[in-house]
Amino acid sequence: MGHFATVTTPIRADLVEGLDAGWRHLTETGSWLTGVQRAEIVTAARAAWDCAFCAERKTALSPQSVTGVHDRSSGLPASWVDVIHRVVTDSGRLTEQWCQDALATGLLEDEFVEVLNVAIATTAIDSFAFGIGTQPPPLGQVHSEPAARARTPYGVPGVGWIATISPENAGDFVDFYANDSHFYIRRALTLVPEECREFWKIANVLYLEDPRVHELDGVERGISRAQMEFLAARASMLLDCYY
Amino acid sequence: MSGNDTGDEYDLTAVTDGTDESLSGIAHGRQLNAFVEAVIVRDREAVDAARAALVESMDLDAMVDAAATIAAFNAFPRIADATGIPLEPAKADFTVELRDDYDLNALNHAGV
Repeated sequence: MGHFATVTTPIRADLVEGLDAGWRHLTETGSWLTGVQRAEIVTAARAAWDCAFCAERKTALSPQSVTGVHDRSSGLPASWVDVIHRVVTDSGRLTEQWCQDALATGLLEDEFVEVLNVAIATTAIDSFAFGIGTQPPPLGQVHSEPAARARTPYGVPGVGWIATISPENAGDFVDFYANDSHFYIRRALTLVPEECREFWKIANVLYLEDPRVHELDGVERGISRAQMEFLAARASMLLDCYY
Repeated sequence: MSGNDTGDEYDLTAVTDGTDESLSGIAHGRQLNAFVEAVIVRDREAVDAARAALVESMDLDAMVDAAATIAAFNAFPRIADATGIPLEPAKADFTVELRDDYDLNALNHAGV
């Protein structure tokens, strides 16, 4: 039984199922990373909040003005830890140079995307647990089989700093863009398509599978659409997010 | 979009500054704002108080779905900022005035 299935606060069934399945998957082998590596990313994402270097950087006028090393809690390369810690603690000030610097260390673009996916999914699930007042889920079973590490043939440069799969040439991934869901936020992590699908299974139960719905037609939520969008916009503002 | 559908008017400064006055147009706005602020900054004492206040003013289901929405938007901004995705062209065109009126362009640290 998954963690959220055991929480005493009543949670709608689709949310329990989505979060528990999503959490389990985080320590399974992915497309480019083993379950062991992914578990280390989960651990590093959590540790970022207590990292002294991150705390110092966060208060600096410019993150580049502070030098130091992150608190290390895993065997991950230092460059991976920097990606994870920066996206968790200070994402609003990330730049293309930061992205390029990360890739220049030898981190493959596909690995970068899967690292982001795991770190951000961890942050989202932990945020939900924190919000409802329950403990964050413990690490699940860690899988160690090797990853396939096969790049999608459909990745093209853009729309942002890394390659993505475009809706116009998505091959067998085209169903991901059904219902005209071409927003760039959906496209952002598509370079690693199967992990992208897994992330959006979590996101869809947390938010809305189709944000184009009229108000909340056919969707069961305890708050109104206006209240949801207020929270969405306010959270984004507090995280300094332009998009 | 939602206001056009429901006929309600919303003060969008509720998003940028979260003051009591600006929040008055959103049902349970003060409680929701206290909750989202506490979750985002990870203040355990504040989130416990905000959660209790939200449950009292609304109910448990509302609190859970508020937490869920906040969790989703703990993810989406990080994805956007870590990958440098720009505004979609239609959105950029549609929001020129909005971004100027509320000084949202100042958030574009990465110059995307």
